[in-house]
Amino acid sequence: MNEKLHYWMLALPALAVMIVFYIWPVLNIWGISVTEPSTGLDNYTRMFDSNAVRVSFVLTFRIAAVTTIMCLLLGYVLAYTISNFATRVTPLMLGLVLLPFWVSVLVRSFAWIVLLGRSGLVNDALIDTGLITSPIRIMHNELGVLIAMVHVMLPFAVLPMLTNMRGIDDSYVKAARGLGASEWRAFREVYFPQTLPGVFSGGLLVFVLSLGFYITPALLGGGRVMMISEYITYQIQEFLNWGLGAALSVALLVATALVLLVAGRFVNLRKTFLERG
Amino acid sequence: MEKIDTEFKSDLIEIAAERYKSGRLSRRGFVSAMGALGLVPLLGDRAMAQASELVVCNWGGQASEILAELLGKAYEAETGIPVRVDGAGPSAGKVRAMVESGAVVWDVCDSGAGSAIVMNEAGVIQEIDYNIVDRNKVLKGTALPFAIGNYVFSYALSYNPTMLPGGTPRTWADVWNVEAFPGMRTFRKSVRGQLEAAALAMGVAKEDVYTFLDDEGIKAAIAKFRALRDNIIVWGSGADSQNLFLQGEVAMGNIYSTRAFLLRDQMEPGTFEMTFDGAVLQPGMWVVPKNNPAGTEAAMNFIATCQNPELQAEWFAAIGNAPINPAAAELVPAELAFLNPNSPENVAKQVIYNDEWYGKNQVSAEELYIDALIG
Repeated sequence: MNEKLHYWMLALPALAVMIVFYIWPVLNIWGISVTEPSTGLDNYTRMFDSNAVRVSFVLTFRIAAVTTIMCLLLGYVLAYTISNFATRVTPLMLGLVLLPFWVSVLVRSFAWIVLLGRSGLVNDALIDTGLITSPIRIMHNELGVLIAMVHVMLPFAVLPMLTNMRGIDDSYVKAARGLGASEWRAFREVYFPQTLPGVFSGGLLVFVLSLGFYITPALLGGGRVMMISEYITYQIQEFLNWGLGAALSVALLVATALVLLVAGRFVNLRKTFLERG
Repeated sequence: MEKIDTEFKSDLIEIAAERYKSGRLSRRGFVSAMGALGLVPLLGDRAMAQASELVVCNWGGQASEILAELLGKAYEAETGIPVRVDGAGPSAGKVRAMVESGAVVWDVCDSGAGSAIVMNEAGVIQEIDYNIVDRNKVLKGTALPFAIGNYVFSYALSYNPTMLPGGTPRTWADVWNVEAFPGMRTFRKSVRGQLEAAALAMGVAKEDVYTFLDDEGIKAAIAKFRALRDNIIVWGSGADSQNLFLQGEVAMGNIYSTRAFLLRDQMEPGTFEMTFDGAVLQPGMWVVPKNNPAGTEAAMNFIATCQNPELQAEWFAAIGNAPINPAAAELVPAELAFLNPNSPENVAKQVIYNDEWYGKNQVSAEELYIDALIG
């Protein structure tokens, strides 16, 4: 008992910081959502009645879903290659996966603006090679947001899958091959099922992080790809509408919690968020 | 509800920074303006209960420095009272809190008509003394009993001719004509100055824009944006709109005339044009808080000083916000004259921003506008 108390004492400073600077403000936000401008659920009825809010939520979930799928596809191939083939260059490849973590999302998003613009590198290269005659629109729309978001989120998909794949004993696949399975069949029926926990973990991580994304859509969306966090900023900055802004953030929090709740039935959450790397 | 467009004010700060760096203000030199003023010491000998200083509050940054150096020094030369500029941002809420708490530190505030109406209703600002301030030295309609115009800007149709080989847009109807004028357009992430453009594109006369924009009219204007939205990139800050033109992302758009003023300099000759045809002209306003420390007369004198057409022209050349005094139009350097939204020729082409309409309709219109654009 005494020992337990000691551990709690050790955790106390961190806990205090969390309560004072995170839990307490969040509770205040909840409070604002039901007290401003008047006490009651007005903000929530307004939110549910608003078509713009609905569109923004649908947009947010769609972008998060597509980002997740793209990250899983690209990330799976990458993780598979790193863990099974690239034995000598593994540190280098891992380094390249981790490198973007050291550059801020803001800088990376601006880099995409330079690349994807109407007179950006991609369009210039395509025009120079004669593939297209006039610039194509790959920025200031949903496509631009998706490209940049997949780039930002890719490491979050790769790392859990990589951890998972490295723990897989290759004797199972060898045994399957020895018993006459084709390479494809051995992968599909023996290897792939073992990687599913990593896939789910990576997917969940990317999806949940994407739901709250702000900078990238705001910079690359041309103002029309307004995901929910940008919508919240807009309500508060443009209209000083703290009540509705707070209600929207509560809704986003609840939606994210629901996603985790449902996912919890399929994925080991503890493993996903606590036992990385 | 705070109605003043704080974004525009902070935008001026950025513009001022660029102007300052490019040396335009010092090159043209307020020294010459000072000299001109020195010859006409309008109020210099007037005996006053001397206030130790006059505090003018605006929205911060380099715009504050320019205000202090240009208008502040001119006032000091006239009255001997030094001017200090506070860039804290005199929102209606702050002014109200200050007056009601009895601790007023600002003498003159850079506000807007919408905010001024709010502050007047709250009873926290003074009547303008039109024995000192000249109601004829401002744009018509901006001499309110409790506030008076200080400078002017517009939301104007701008375009890049090199991206429009088939011809350039002359009217808002052209902007909505995607077949004849292909290319991306940019509009503000707010209805301010934007719904008017849609109304004009529908053939509404510019005098009738705000009567047209009743509930049905707003819906019709919003529908125009919905129809055009695949060709729209939205700008949030003035810097956004500037970047969109600089990077060739848009062929045309509805942007601040102050940003257009900068783009004229920054872009290659022939790649940027702006017209005041169908633009929306919006004035800024001076207000004087009740019980201001330097006293009513000192504050009114400052406002009167700022009406000086030479100073107004200097102010325009420095930051691109245009003289509220129509007489300043002819003092604006000839090469910049066509960029002045408040010259008689340009005023005749424009819609005058209607604060009452915004007070009544803006919030509901913004919701519909965003709904039409996103997704």
